[in-house]
Amino acid sequence: MTDTSAPRKKVAGPARGFPMIDFSAPRHREKFGYLLLAPAVILMAAIIVYPILLSVDISMQDVRIARIGDAREPWTLKNYQWLFGSDEFWRGLWVSLKLVFVVGALSVIIGFATAMLVNQKFRGRTAIRLFVALPWAVPEVVATVIWAWMLDSSFGVVNWVLLKLGVISTPVLFFSNPTAAFAAVCFVMIWKGYPLMSIMLLAGLQSIPEEQYQAAAVDGAGPWQRFFYITVPNMLPVIGVTLVMTSLWVFRDFAIIYVLTQGGPIGSTTTLSILTFEQSFEFFRMGQGAAVGVITMILCAIVSRALVGRLAKSVH
Amino acid sequence: MQNRHPLATLALYATAIATCVILLFPIYWMIVTALQPATNLRAYPPQFWPADPQWGVFRSILENHPFMRWFFNSMQIAIAVMIMSLTVSVLAAYALSRFRLRGGQALGLLILTSKMLPATLMIIPLFAIFRTTGLVGSLWSVVIAQATLIVPFCTWMLKGYFDTIPPELEHAALVDGCSPLGTIFRIVLPVAAPGLAATALYSFVVSWSDFLFGRTFLTTTEDNWTLQMGIAALKGEFVTEWNLIMAGSLMSSIPIIIVFLFLERFLVGGLSAGSEK
Repeated sequence: MTDTSAPRKKVAGPARGFPMIDFSAPRHREKFGYLLLAPAVILMAAIIVYPILLSVDISMQDVRIARIGDAREPWTLKNYQWLFGSDEFWRGLWVSLKLVFVVGALSVIIGFATAMLVNQKFRGRTAIRLFVALPWAVPEVVATVIWAWMLDSSFGVVNWVLLKLGVISTPVLFFSNPTAAFAAVCFVMIWKGYPLMSIMLLAGLQSIPEEQYQAAAVDGAGPWQRFFYITVPNMLPVIGVTLVMTSLWVFRDFAIIYVLTQGGPIGSTTTLSILTFEQSFEFFRMGQGAAVGVITMILCAIVSRALVGRLAKSVH
Repeated sequence: MQNRHPLATLALYATAIATCVILLFPIYWMIVTALQPATNLRAYPPQFWPADPQWGVFRSILENHPFMRWFFNSMQIAIAVMIMSLTVSVLAAYALSRFRLRGGQALGLLILTSKMLPATLMIIPLFAIFRTTGLVGSLWSVVIAQATLIVPFCTWMLKGYFDTIPPELEHAALVDGCSPLGTIFRIVLPVAAPGLAATALYSFVVSWSDFLFGRTFLTTTEDNWTLQMGIAALKGEFVTEWNLIMAGSLMSSIPIIIVFLFLERFLVGGLSAGSEK
């Protein structure tokens, strides 16, 4: 574009006296916009769109280690047949859904309670706000390692506290008992996930008009009534968005589970993400791994439809 | 709010402090464990205060592991990702915010959707691409892979900021003879500085924390590892030397926690922009 227009600019330029502001002329404004978008479009086509198409392609081939330019395998649905016929996939789906449900529900409760707390007016709340958001910045691997040590079956502080409180009589073996390992993954995810929840819910709380509360107070509504008739209805859309975002994060997360339990014991923490990785980079069956990944992507797309619909309204 | 009962105020402070103590205990425990002498880690009951802090643990981890090497790898990746994604997304976000372009809406949707891609799926095609182009084992592979997640989100965040800046300033600058690109850099970006800071922080935190991409593309030699890979490997290596692991974890989180404490206020606005609309 610049090649063709540059000579013309030079001819027209001196006559008008402003060769540099060509792009600000109304008929060139749009071109400038497209020019600004070009790097992003090229980058996204190369590193997002093309890889997605490639992964669908890989999922339909019987390949072990994928490589571009190798002799192509014929397209087959073998991997998808394996997928829907295998116990691993259905167990992975079940574990993922359980995890999304438990982590989503608990972190929305903790996040909402924290948001309500730091929304109160008191001295030092800026500091408290900063502190409760801190786990968001702790890298996932670090968070996982800390919890792995806290949940240690012999010397872990969590077992000590539970024993002291009399909740349990023998230490919980967090990494060899399937149920306990699942709970361990939930702990780390909730701890990592609640700060973003509370940040977003706090923003929601602050956007509720103060007049609504004042009007309710004038009408004689008590604190509980104000909470259930004003706060909750106003917050439902925000809660919805945060829940979808957390669900998507839990559904796709890899580092926490992989570092904490490697998907074990006996597959009790193998989500679809872990299964994708395991198939592709541990058993080197990338065809099957890609098939699991493609199904995960489709599930994520279904879950996120609500979110995309909501956010898309603000695109233009 | 002045008419709050003193007891209510007391209860409020007690709840706030209790919440902080419980929620931040893991971070405290990381610091305490790092400073404990190794023998105290098996003490019963656990030692909640490092009576005899062992500062030598930090030197020992630097001497026995290529920790600095990992640190610089992580730093290089995070900075490269930040520069790349900010450059690309500033331009794209400005275009999406100011121009009604054909395909703009479709691109916006693509950006939103790509936020929801499972990274474990993306590494399979990316691995195939990097193997063919010989990038496996190079830090660039992780930089490029990170961009798949970060560029879309940064574009989204920045578009939100640009939308809040009135375009009149730019019109005035254009009339005064400022070039369109100059308008972006001289007029828009200074005003959008908080947004830029938030986006930069987001990008830094995400790429610094990455484990999956490094674990997939950089496993070839220990010298290529990132900090997060190093810490994950330490956990497998020393089953009992938790003080070393915690010291490593602490050192790898300090840069990010410092950045976070300074820039948190900008980030909160940026991250919640999407939910408020």
